[in-house]
Amino acid sequence: MDVLDKYKKAWVNQPEDNRQLSSKEIYKLAHSSSSSLVKWIFIIGILEFIFWGVINFLVPDSFYKIYEDLNLETFLQVFTVFHYIILIAFLYLFYQNYTNISLVDNTKKLIKKILKVRKTVNYYVYYNLAIIVLVSFVINAKIFSNPEKHLDIINPDNLAMDLSQIVTISIISQIIAVIVILVLFWLFYKLIYGIFLRKLNKNYKELSKLDESN
Amino acid sequence: MQKDLEEKFLSDFEKNQNIAHKICRVYTTNQNAHNDLFQEITIQLWKNYPKFRGDSKFSTWMYRVALNTAISLYRKSTRRVKTQDISDVAYKISSTPYDDTEEAQLKALYKAIHKLNDIDKALIFLYLEDKPYKEISEALGITSVNARVKMNRAKEKLKNILNP
Repeated sequence: MDVLDKYKKAWVNQPEDNRQLSSKEIYKLAHSSSSSLVKWIFIIGILEFIFWGVINFLVPDSFYKIYEDLNLETFLQVFTVFHYIILIAFLYLFYQNYTNISLVDNTKKLIKKILKVRKTVNYYVYYNLAIIVLVSFVINAKIFSNPEKHLDIINPDNLAMDLSQIVTISIISQIIAVIVILVLFWLFYKLIYGIFLRKLNKNYKELSKLDESN
Repeated sequence: MQKDLEEKFLSDFEKNQNIAHKICRVYTTNQNAHNDLFQEITIQLWKNYPKFRGDSKFSTWMYRVALNTAISLYRKSTRRVKTQDISDVAYKISSTPYDDTEEAQLKALYKAIHKLNDIDKALIFLYLEDKPYKEISEALGITSVNARVKMNRAKEKLKNILNP
């Protein structure tokens, strides 16, 4: 007799749980608010979309003067339209992937679909970070192609320094700003992955391992 | 229509609630966490019930949704109440007359299961519930052959914990 058989017998014979719920209690539970991982992943995703959506409105108007000074207004207009089309596309994909989640799927497929929702948001964040880099690159290229002409942009306070010093300071401060932003994002995502995705990633890995050749 | 559906759900769930209780005992180690997971399972079952077409038995469908909730949707509480764990397991078992040895074996079994990872817990739970390999492989999304091989491994792990 297998050693587990006696335990299995104990399992089969285990008495019912002493908290048997009535229909009324089940009704109350069924209509209470869920605190599932999927719900949190959805809420955080929406908050990220809102964050990146409103970030444009938080930039002071004076900043947009740079585009005027650099004759980049058309670029800005075309880019803004393009940006909102991309935002709508991402929101559509996010919602579509979210509604695709079904608890009746097998466990592996279910986890894959939940992770896909999260991935959609991640791609949107990568897109935004890439856009920041791209726009900064365009502005920098325009300014530094003719720094003397755009001296008031790179030296707004009229500091008494020669041009090469100003250019160096400007580039170094931009690099520092990019590093700070990236570190903040890295910390934020470490937190999200740690809190909400560690369990899902771990279980998905475990299930994938089960299907590897033996 | 909605009322009929609700009544049918409540009656189906009431009759099969022990499945959910057992899954909660497998995946949690204290009464608070048990209640949290039980609540989430109930919410998810009700939310998905309109899509239950009756192609399979309610209990088969319930195993799938409840296990998926435990493995993929439920976030463990960070509260640590380890000191209460053992008494909680005892508390969960009803006080109706019950064989002493079997009660001890059951406690040892739950304690050992708690040391397994989430997926091995599911494998062992389905084995204890006497589910065929076909159903196990379909529930987890792995092939039947792999379900068999991995089940044997999970059983070995469990035996080693029970009899080190």
